[in-house]
Amino acid sequence: MAMASTLHSDRQPDKLRSLGIVALNGMFDEMDAVGVMRQAVAEILPGDVAIVSSFGADSVVLLHIAAQVDPSLPIYFLETGKHFPETLAYVEQLKKQLGLINVTAIHPAPHDLARFDPDGDLWETDPDSCCHIRKTEPLEPITEQFGGWVTGRKRFQTKERGVLPHFELTSDDRIKINPLAYFNDADVAAYKAEHDLPEHPLYSHGYKSIGCAPCTSVVAEGEDPRAGRWRGLNKKECGIHYDFSGAIASPMNAADKYSLFKDGTFVADPFRVWDETMVAGEARYAHVPLPVFLENREAFLANPHPLGLLVSPGDRVEDAEADLGRFVSIAIKFPAFTDGRGYSTARLLTERYQYANELRAVGDILQDQIPLMRRCGINAFVITHKPTREALIENRLPEVNIFYQPVGTSEVPVGTRPYLRRAS
Amino acid sequence: MYRYDEFDAAFVRARTGQFANQVERRLKGEISEEQFRPLRLMNGLYLQLHAYMLRIAVPYGTLRSQQMRKLAHVARTHDRGYGHFTTRQNIQFNWPRLKDVPVILSELASVEMHAIQTSGNCIRNVTTDQFAGAAHDEIIDPRPVGEIIRQWSSLHPEFSYLPRKFKIALNGAPHDRAAIRFHDIGLQATTNGDGDIGWEVWVGGGLGRTPMVAKLINSFVPHEHLLAYLESIVRVYNRYGRRDNKFKARIKILVHEEGLETIKGQVEAEFAEMRGGQLTLPQEELDRISAYFAPPAFSALPDTPVDIAREDILDPVYARWLRHNLNRHVQPGYTSLTISLKPVGGSPGDATAEQMEAVADLAERYSFDELRVTHEQNLVLPHVAIRDLRAVYDGLVAVKLAEGNAGLITDIICCPGMDFCSLATARSIPIAQAISQKFAAPERQKDIGDLKIKISGCINACGHHHVGHIGVLGVEKKGEELYQITLGGDATENASVGKILGPGFDADGVPGAIETLVETYLARRENAQENFIAAYRRLGEAPFKEALYGNG
Ligand code: SF4
Ligand code: SF4
Repeated sequence: MAMASTLHSDRQPDKLRSLGIVALNGMFDEMDAVGVMRQAVAEILPGDVAIVSSFGADSVVLLHIAAQVDPSLPIYFLETGKHFPETLAYVEQLKKQLGLINVTAIHPAPHDLARFDPDGDLWETDPDSCCHIRKTEPLEPITEQFGGWVTGRKRFQTKERGVLPHFELTSDDRIKINPLAYFNDADVAAYKAEHDLPEHPLYSHGYKSIGCAPCTSVVAEGEDPRAGRWRGLNKKECGIHYDFSGAIASPMNAADKYSLFKDGTFVADPFRVWDETMVAGEARYAHVPLPVFLENREAFLANPHPLGLLVSPGDRVEDAEADLGRFVSIAIKFPAFTDGRGYSTARLLTERYQYANELRAVGDILQDQIPLMRRCGINAFVITHKPTREALIENRLPEVNIFYQPVGTSEVPVGTRPYLRRAS
Repeated sequence: MYRYDEFDAAFVRARTGQFANQVERRLKGEISEEQFRPLRLMNGLYLQLHAYMLRIAVPYGTLRSQQMRKLAHVARTHDRGYGHFTTRQNIQFNWPRLKDVPVILSELASVEMHAIQTSGNCIRNVTTDQFAGAAHDEIIDPRPVGEIIRQWSSLHPEFSYLPRKFKIALNGAPHDRAAIRFHDIGLQATTNGDGDIGWEVWVGGGLGRTPMVAKLINSFVPHEHLLAYLESIVRVYNRYGRRDNKFKARIKILVHEEGLETIKGQVEAEFAEMRGGQLTLPQEELDRISAYFAPPAFSALPDTPVDIAREDILDPVYARWLRHNLNRHVQPGYTSLTISLKPVGGSPGDATAEQMEAVADLAERYSFDELRVTHEQNLVLPHVAIRDLRAVYDGLVAVKLAEGNAGLITDIICCPGMDFCSLATARSIPIAQAISQKFAAPERQKDIGDLKIKISGCINACGHHHVGHIGVLGVEKKGEELYQITLGGDATENASVGKILGPGFDADGVPGAIETLVETYLARRENAQENFIAAYRRLGEAPFKEALYGNG
């Protein structure tokens, strides 16, 4: 097939490969999951594709598709030594039932365990290092052997994956194949029902996303399935990204528990998100959505407790102009970092209405936006994104700190040109 | 020309460093492609079909020869030996490697250039008339105000995440050579009753899938209040522009859906708050910036006309170049000349490193070190003494840049299309090449006269097909490339959007269809002075439609 030879051409592999990827995604955009998998295994990278599976709650669909296309496709199971016995049983059950004949368990290196986790409780104090020796390290020699990896990732699972394509080129020039990219929850359920696939034994006990035993907990009804992973720890994403997740992040310390960054450090946040059960006259330490405030203005103004205001894009701060002084904190919502309405809101609040209390940004915030937000008057940030947190703590934001336009209330003129400013 | 002072230099250095950091984080995988995307876009870096594409700003289209030489250097070192001049008066390199981009940017910074805001949902590079500061008909040189707008909009913290890109163009002469009515904001220099010079402000123009002619929102804004007025418009747009649909996010849709009066009310309310505030432009600052753009030290030369008739006999090819590529200069004895980047059969807008260097040498020697990039993808030497024309011409011949076709049918604007652009639905460069080959004969081109053909490879309309006298839009229909032809577009002060006459043509059919239109024009025009667009306006679409499709 033409595409296969394009991808394997020696000349300028990177360009041709990325060109190929664009074309592949175009060609297979509409193709179903089995079709994508078959193309990948039979045509695009014959003999050069493998799967890493956690044999967790949502692994079975991908494995079933793999079995249909090629029961001898290499499948690797990360036997971290920390799995539920039910998971290990499930591995055997699926091997038999789906007819998978090439499943290999990979184990952590004994000397690493002896050295770093002799008592088997490293996960408690430093889950990232635990994941490192039990997952990342053992996997490395395996990944090098294959040019392509099939993953079970789905677009809907996290926001960042909203654009997940069927084929991706990794930074080390491998191809990741995501046959389930377009699947949502309902598709997964429908597929399982259609093929009568066995559930993970713990699924019915409330475990919706299953990893190692110590790091998995039950998910409440309606909660994000992944909420059960590393519950209570500030750990969510996985550097490895096969069909499970597990992030490579540094050990937890006290500040990591807090997500409000203010006056140069992460601090405990007295505020809570407004919810429907709160009462206008009694609520305290909550950010009241602007429309809710306007509707019950009298009651809120009579409320003696500290309150905040939540301004979402589309809200007009003008409407609360007279009452801004009532709030000890105003939160400006940035639902997506590309939505810049909050910058205008912030300038109106601080420059035009001289609001001077805490002004925080909440939502999707990256380090690149923070300097701009500060210039517009925002002085506190709710941040969970790890690299952004680190950049904030270490005070190394990618910043241009001289400015061409007068903005805000605290910037200092530079030289004699009328508009030039620098941070104060 | 504007020269950086320490502040400007420090700013660009800091911005380059910031972007180097962002690239590094991307290469390390600390940020995802989705997170990197708006950051790289704000620095002119696109992901194209084959590789990254880096777009470099040429503010208001003005370059020094040193800067052009640096572009040649980048083309040679980091690209495949050429660059592509765009309809936004920028230059694009189609093959840089991500890891090289910070190096390229710091090279550019060393000659006071950058890629800031050449893409992304922010205020883009300001564009203007390519003959600014040289044209005989100018009310004011628009570049000082262009420079002030460039500075004001650079990394503006409030306007870095607008609903969509935002383009501002300025024009200083009554004749609009900057297509200001097809920009988000168009500024037209004008004089008020007291004889003061200020700006008409046009808002909500644009091309793309919903072409619209801008509407006049204010008929006179004095220099001193211009930035406050602009900030008012952009704030209203930032707050109320649609964000739910990328294709409806430009300000033209906001103006269209809400109505000019509503938007005007909001802008005026904002402006009432801002007017007289910190964005007021002091006259001394305008004077200070204007001094950079003072006319060069022209010699007092006699006002000798160019004797084209004589050259018609001696050297017809040279005569043709003189006839079509000169633009009248304000200074007696001088002219502005257009260097066509549209050789018959070539890729419109492309120039090799050698050509850039040769042009830089000519600019240094014969045009007070100045060069311009036009939105029609050509270059201009703005200030050439008429007595030097032959020498300049010979220099251009040596590097194959002496095509005498400016403004003619083969001076085609054309986007990169399927050959480079990942959004394309059809090829465009090969179509331009086929058309220019069809009309290659110089006599025929001269006979046809002024005729602007503009070609886009998809509905995004980067080739400005809506404002071509003849526009060509490539679309995809049932897996085949199909080309729609529009007639009657005009980007000048007589702004109009071209109309589709009927079904499209396949690639092979396009040159023939255009020939039919041209033949119809030649047969029906009143005389050789009535150019294509004038004849179309007089005749209406009927005869053209009939010629193309019959009257059935
Ligand atoms: S998931 Fe938990 S137990 Fe398993 S490797 Fe990671 S930290 Fe260790
Ligand atoms: S018009 Fe379309 S094909 Fe042409 S450059 Fe623009 S986006 Fe690409």
